Amino acid sequence: MAPPRLTGALRSFSTVSKQDDSTHDLYDLKTKRLKRQEIFARDGLTWQKIVQFFTQHLEKKDQPAATRELKNILQAAKHIVGTDFGQDTIESAGVFLFKTFHNKDQISHEETRAIKQMFGPFPASPAESCCAAVGRLVAQIGESQVDAFIQTQSSLKTVNSGSVFGRNIAFSFDAYALDAHDTMPWSEETDMDQALDF
Amino acid sequence: MACAKVPLDELHVTQPSGPQGKERTLPALHPDRKEERCFLTFKPPPEDGTPALLEEFLEHAQFISEDLEWLLALPHDKFWCQVVFDESLQRCLDSYLSHAPRSLDPSGISSSPAVADMQRNVHRSVFMVFLRMATHKESKENFITPAVFAEIIYNNYLFDIPKILDLCVLFGKGNSQLVHKMIENIFTQQPSYYGDLDETIPSIIQVFDSILQKCGIQSDDQPLKLNANRCLTAMTMSEEELADLVLYMCDTCTTVHSFLDIFPEACSTFKQHNFLNRLSSFYEIVVPDLEKAVKKRNFNKSIQENMWRQVSHSRKKMVEIAHLLLQHSCLQPILEGSENVVSFVEDLLQNFTAFLQEKRFLADYDEQFPIVDDISLLQQAFPLLDDTRTSYLLQGVESAWEFVGKKKSFPS
Repeated sequence: MAPPRLTGALRSFSTVSKQDDSTHDLYDLKTKRLKRQEIFARDGLTWQKIVQFFTQHLEKKDQPAATRELKNILQAAKHIVGTDFGQDTIESAGVFLFKTFHNKDQISHEETRAIKQMFGPFPASPAESCCAAVGRLVAQIGESQVDAFIQTQSSLKTVNSGSVFGRNIAFSFDAYALDAHDTMPWSEETDMDQALDF
Repeated sequence: MACAKVPLDELHVTQPSGPQGKERTLPALHPDRKEERCFLTFKPPPEDGTPALLEEFLEHAQFISEDLEWLLALPHDKFWCQVVFDESLQRCLDSYLSHAPRSLDPSGISSSPAVADMQRNVHRSVFMVFLRMATHKESKENFITPAVFAEIIYNNYLFDIPKILDLCVLFGKGNSQLVHKMIENIFTQQPSYYGDLDETIPSIIQVFDSILQKCGIQSDDQPLKLNANRCLTAMTMSEEELADLVLYMCDTCTTVHSFLDIFPEACSTFKQHNFLNRLSSFYEIVVPDLEKAVKKRNFNKSIQENMWRQVSHSRKKMVEIAHLLLQHSCLQPILEGSENVVSFVEDLLQNFTAFLQEKRFLADYDEQFPIVDDISLLQQAFPLLDDTRTSYLLQGVESAWEFVGKKKSFPS
């Protein structure tokens, strides 16, 4: 249960706060993940572009292997997102997995968390086989070339810390705390008694 | 995009619209420019360290942290569209202020490093969002007309009194100057907040009354309830109820103190509600009652120890609140030689005289802020001070010390 707070009482009983029913959440984790997938699907990098990139940059003899790996990635994506979704969602998940694994040898905690953030709990083996497939695919062309391709195609920018509000503002995590000296009277330890332009 | 030197509220932008990509011009601050981001509400870390619950908290908080980072990286015009028109964002911010763990809570700080790290990320980002919302002029190019800013923050409840109090108690300890600047700007641009504060103070006093009632004590100016005899007291209520009550008092005193400490301009509004007298009489009645219950009742030692510290903390904060009120609404104007010095002197002496009947409070106040020092200052600033009156007052202070059985420690 939420601890009792002065401001909780004021929100409930005074007339100076917005009176709305904030007891239910507007969105849950599932909705949030879908929204995240939707935002990601708007990215400039698409599955077609990935397929095209490998078709253009590989010699004909290497293409069957690449096609096999691309299929493997999509297959893994299907296992991760679930069977209820259409081809667009699966391809979008394939793009996400390709982007996530393109410069990784194995799945670390960071990648696991990123995939879970996007799709929720997922089985480990498709993720591992996907990571391996992406590794084999990228090895055919070279990591730096794939990196450059992803950079030029992606329209979703990662947050640039240089443009974030407050980046230069010193912030302290100090918080009001109980005085450690106020121990019980019978305890042995104590004798009882930057400049923002507003 | 934004043109130079035009306030956001007058700025118009042209952007593609519809499937054919036709262009249309609309005000920079317009609901159609808001992004559907679906901010989640904040939930506090789980009290028990179940891995599944911790994992869920981390995932939840990670979304919030990333979304707030995204928000802070938005250009000025897009930031304000989101802030004004995205209800989920406002709920997210409000949920953080309401549910963020506080170090005064028994389960305040998480022992898991991952949770603590995540908590710190969200904590900083929430503060920066509020700071940005309290800033009407971010740079020479990015600003809002002050009068419009005042309307935006007030009419959309971007700030309200409970939120301002939460900001003080959550962020004020280490960032007092920034928080002061924020609140000062909010109150200066939108004086209606003084009216809201004025309306809120009776509710704060009601919180004191409700604590008294829960202890089975009626405050002086409330009629005795018919079922008063059947009320529980601090000695008979359940352990959980007592723990909640002590935490409630501790949170209330810390919150009010942090607000007045950071924004002393609010002292006069509190004083107008006779807050000092209500506070000192509340202290006089409730402190011995709760101290006795915490000391005499038999329960888990660590809980008991923590409750004792919360009561002691509340005592100190109440005394400090009284001092802040007197300092900013009486002493300072006297020392600064303001015009109505006589009325400030009279007010101060009347307040001290009113304390004479609250002997425990008076002795504790005098211990932290010796009244003799204030009288001596008064005598220097106002030589016409009535000696008989001050002697009477100081004798009253001595008798308060005797009443509570304490001995003064005099400097050697």
